[in-house]
Amino acid sequence: MSKTLLYLLFTIYLMATSGYLLHIFWRRSFVAKASFVLIVAGVILQTALLGHRWWAAGYLPVTNLFATLFFFSWALALTYLYFELRYRIRATGLFVMLLNLVLLGGALPRDTTVSLLIPALDTPLFSLHIIFSFVGYAFFAMAFSIGVLYLCQAQLSTELLPDLPTLRKINEEAIFLGFGLFTLCMVAGSIWAHIAWGHWFSWNIKSVWSVLVWMFYAGMCHAKFIRRWQGGVYAWLSIAGFGVVLFTYLGIGLLLESNHPLE
Amino acid sequence: MGSGKWPKPFLLKLWALGCSLKLAIALASAATLLIMGGSLVMHYNPAIFSGMEQEIMGQWLPQAWSRAPLLVFWVPLSGLCILLFALNTLCCLIDWLTMLRVRWRKTGEYLVHAGFVLLTVAYLWGNLSGFRSGPHRLAPGDRMSIPNMPGYLLQLEEFTPQIEPGGRPLDMINKLVLWKNGRQVLQKTIRINHPLIYDGLVILPSSYGQDIQGFRFHMPGTGFVDLAPGSRLPISSDVTLVVHRFLADARQDRQGRVMEIGSRLNNPALQLSLLGPSGTIWQGWYFLRRQLPEGMVKAGIELRPVEPVLTTFSLLTINRDPGDKMALTGGFCITVGVIFAFFSFYRKRRISDRPEI
Repeated sequence: MSKTLLYLLFTIYLMATSGYLLHIFWRRSFVAKASFVLIVAGVILQTALLGHRWWAAGYLPVTNLFATLFFFSWALALTYLYFELRYRIRATGLFVMLLNLVLLGGALPRDTTVSLLIPALDTPLFSLHIIFSFVGYAFFAMAFSIGVLYLCQAQLSTELLPDLPTLRKINEEAIFLGFGLFTLCMVAGSIWAHIAWGHWFSWNIKSVWSVLVWMFYAGMCHAKFIRRWQGGVYAWLSIAGFGVVLFTYLGIGLLLESNHPLE
Repeated sequence: MGSGKWPKPFLLKLWALGCSLKLAIALASAATLLIMGGSLVMHYNPAIFSGMEQEIMGQWLPQAWSRAPLLVFWVPLSGLCILLFALNTLCCLIDWLTMLRVRWRKTGEYLVHAGFVLLTVAYLWGNLSGFRSGPHRLAPGDRMSIPNMPGYLLQLEEFTPQIEPGGRPLDMINKLVLWKNGRQVLQKTIRINHPLIYDGLVILPSSYGQDIQGFRFHMPGTGFVDLAPGSRLPISSDVTLVVHRFLADARQDRQGRVMEIGSRLNNPALQLSLLGPSGTIWQGWYFLRRQLPEGMVKAGIELRPVEPVLTTFSLLTINRDPGDKMALTGGFCITVGVIFAFFSFYRKRRISDRPEI
């Protein structure tokens, strides 16, 4: 992948984020619209780059830290677009796109070479496992962002952000969709593990923490029915949940020995 | 009064507790916190926990408990929480089934519940009555009994490792035959991600290796010949060269005794004899790094060592999980449930049918 295109992509997202930032102080609708158009352009470019890497490699190239950060960033941008088109969240996008910039910024200095595929990864189940996993993570990241904004809105009562019921609705939707997709990731991963290693669940640290992520968000899907927890507690849980996700994705791969290493 | 000695209000309370949402959250939270802490204990105590992946829980836990109960107590405790959580999920599922006519819109969510219950039972079943074993070393033609499954035999008919020109292994193709009580029940070619699955049994390639069986020589006038234990090479109409032993790394002491040092190719030697019409003409050791023994030279033999003769063996993992079909059914329920739940979520939001419930 050309580093120039990668930097161009980063610049597009940076401009979009700056546009949203500007929109907070200079509330002209064309600023927000321009930012949105930039994000759409960024997503199209990122999709093309990802598609090209996939086509060139012959498999979904998400096997090292650069590739996972890039894919996560793409999934997060798509997730943002989904919520923007559905709810017109505008200013809420600032926080999500900042998170996206962190992910893409983390990928920029890394080697973009597509590594050779380990034979055990050469199965459509791996691609499904990865796609569902990172799109699920993206929804959890969205829920984290919305959770933070919910707490801000609860304190500030500002017109810059959507009202609390809308934020709550988006948060619950993000958790629900993220949980569903992450569940599909776990199913695909278990079937793959069974045919690749002969067991559908193993007590390695990555599998254990993936189950923890699943249980945490399964708990959250139930917690929304507890009246006292709706809103504020749920927002805090969204933030804590993303901490568990980050440890599962980055902490285990980078800090601990696992069968899902990140290099 | 209720059935038997139990008062009806007590049974109703017990059922309400079984279906309690708060109990579900409490049990899931307890299991989550216990496993979070336990995973760090796992990481810092590999000597205790390394076997956890290689064995089923039913075998690993009693051993680990006897060695370090304070380090492994969280495993049965979190297992109990998950088991109770699954029981709670089952109660909710039954409760939902009894009100299916008015709550059918939640079919997707409750299919996920059903899948979770099935997965929990499948895990318990597989980890109490299954096994994990291997790697088992099989060369082409070898047969072995399947551990813990009397009457089952596994035969490796052919083995072909596929290697890239750069030396990177690409695949391991094993042609296997499974026998049960002397009857062939399955023949399958397995490779990476394509195991043999039969009656809860999963047989898959895990690695392979090579053994040095003998050595290839160039014999002027004859061409290339492979000499390995058991080989008989006619030298003339009445003289035959017989190979008794091959050592990849041999040493000869001062008394002339030859001993094996290791299995890696370093100082190869063949124990040979020359048989004539009236018996043994010569016998002794031929160290390939040295010159041909005088007895062989006198017999007119010329051999030039070329390369080792290698045989490749396969390393197979053999696991048994009697709950695998139940787990697959659970996975299927969950997948269908998630798809249903996605559709019903948006439909309920569209018609304002209290989407959050």
